[in-house]
Parts: sequence; C-alpha cells; structure tokens
Amino acid sequence: MYLDLHSHSVSSDDSRATVEQYLKWIAVLRKRGHAVDGIVLTEHRKFDFDMDYSALAAQYDVRVFKGSELDTRYGHFLVYGVSRALTDEIDFSDVRMDARELLIAARHHGAIAVPAHPGRFGIGLTEYIQQGEVFKDVHIVERLNGGSRAGENERAWDLCDSHGYLGIGGSDAHLTSHIAACLTYFPQTIDNEQQLVEALLSERFRPVWLEEARNEAAPA
Amino acid sequence: MVYFEDVDLGDEIGPLETEATDDGVVSFCTVWQSQMPNRFTDREIAEQSRLPGPIVPGIMSMGIMARLLTDWAGPAAVRDLDLVFRQPVPHHKPLRVSATVTDTRQEDGENLVECDILMTGAEGERYVGGKAIVALPSKS
Repeated sequence: MYLDLHSHSVSSDDSRATVEQYLKWIAVLRKRGHAVDGIVLTEHRKFDFDMDYSALAAQYDVRVFKGSELDTRYGHFLVYGVSRALTDEIDFSDVRMDARELLIAARHHGAIAVPAHPGRFGIGLTEYIQQGEVFKDVHIVERLNGGSRAGENERAWDLCDSHGYLGIGGSDAHLTSHIAACLTYFPQTIDNEQQLVEALLSERFRPVWLEEARNEAAPA
Repeated sequence: MVYFEDVDLGDEIGPLETEATDDGVVSFCTVWQSQMPNRFTDREIAEQSRLPGPIVPGIMSMGIMARLLTDWAGPAAVRDLDLVFRQPVPHHKPLRVSATVTDTRQEDGENLVECDILMTGAEGERYVGGKAIVALPSKS
C-alpha cells in the first residue's frame, strides 16, 4: 500500500489545507489512476491527541494517521507512533531539543523518529553530518520529500547510499494539491499508527513518486 | 471569459512568469507611500536586516499573485487570497506564479472556485504559497 508519510493540515500554522480537502484531492488522484491509500498528518511541533479523523477517513476510504514533525537542533524529525508517555518525556515544542535524545526516547516508547528532508540546504541532517555530528540511532531518513528544491532529494539519496540508511517518501504538503506528491510503498496493509511503526522497523518499504504509484501491485 | 461550468478540479491556471526589478519595487513603494530607502530598495539596509539583498514587499508579491487570478477571471473576481510567506522574494530573479483548482461550489448565490496558488523560483524555491477563492460567472 502507498502512504504519504509527511503532511500538514491547518492544525500546523503554515498550512492552508484541511484534512477533508486532502481527502477530496486524493479522490481526484485515484480517478487519474494513482494509488494513494493513506496519509500521515505530521503537524509541526505538536501531536493532536484530541483530533479524530476516523469519520472522514471512512467517508473517503483513506487511512488518516497522526504523527508529528519536530524541530531539533539537528533539523526536523518526523515521529510516528506518538504516545502520551513520549510527550510526557519530550517537550514537542522545544525547537532546540537534542535529536539523539528524541531518537532514543521514541524507540523506548514504541515510536520511531526519522530525519525529515535530510538533504535540505542549511537545515538538513546532511549539514550536521558534514560538520562531524554522529547519529548512531538513525537508520531511516526521508529520502523523497515533495517540498524539496532542486538537488535536495539527490543529497538525501547520497546520504542513504553513503550511510546505508533506508528511505521513506512524503509530500510535506501544506497545500491541497501537493498531497501525495511523494509516498512510501509498503507490501503489507497498515491500519493504525502502531502497525506503521512495525512496518518501518521491518525495513520492507521504499519511497516512490506519485507517478509510480499505480493501482496494480508494486514490485517489492 | 471563463465560466464556472468550464472549470474542473485539477485545472491549472497560468503560469504567470515575471520578475521584480529594482525600478518596479521603487515604483511600488512610491505608490504604497513607503518611506525609502528601506529593505526593499537598499542593499545595505537589507543586509543589516540579515537579508541577502533587497527583497520584494510582501504586499507586492500578493499583487503579482492576484494578477494571475484577475487575468484569468476578471478584475473583480478574487474573493480571498490567504498566503504564507515562506522565503524572501528577491529582485531580478525569475518568478513563476501558478494555481491549481482544488474545489468548486455554489455559495450565497456565487459560483466559487477554490485553488492553491504558488510563487516559485527557477530552482523550485517556494517563495509564497496559499489558497485563493475566485467567483466566476455562470453560463445560465
């Protein structure tokens, strides 16, 4: 199945798309022959415990999962499988948090943290690795990001090659028509956030552009 | 003339390709009655504000983006333009403004078209993005 692992709704201060607008747009993409099975809302610096998108998800037949995108002193990190225990330990609003502590705390609480757009000039993980920083708990990075400038996804690709990282894909959509520009293909069905974490830990996934996501089964 | 019935989700509007020149920004600031020199017109003042050079005023960028919509739908068509300024817009760089129709609806007697609108640079820089609502005439 194909999931967009990085998106922002109006719950993030810099997005202008509602969740329903994303889901309507996915219906348009499906009519065009694209396979889009779900999205993860990774709102900036917070986790929306109180938001329930299950009715919309059922209405549009799209999985809607929740995650977060956190600012750290080593760039942005996507977090999947967020729990109360994790938010009790880590202050999601702290833009200077140490990403290494986040990586460890996430795994301790059954979640997983993944560097977002690591090839981004100025703020991506690549910059910090080039400065000599070491991140031994990073195994997966966002290799395809729909909001990247020319050259940034290529830098993320190089980072994966040089460090043996696995890659995911996400649109980083802030506008309706940008949803699902990049996706992650999983061979199995994923029905909730915990299964998403397990799927990421299984290491069986790959990033794809929307153009590659078609209704026929994708090769593993 | 574009009519509401002719518009579908996913339709592209534009692009409008343009560039903001030094003279154009000075003219805008004059009309806007903005005191000059300022960070929009003067390199030194801009650099003191930690900008790479003089930038295009946000309201001028909004004007450029609104032009895409008014060229398409007419001068009185824009009902809302809600933008997020993600990066400073530089002078003398190619600017591309485009929009994508994301929804259509009839509301309070008007035929409304909602679209994403984006100003980008030659390297894919996303300078300004947001949402617009435009009213279109009906054929009926």
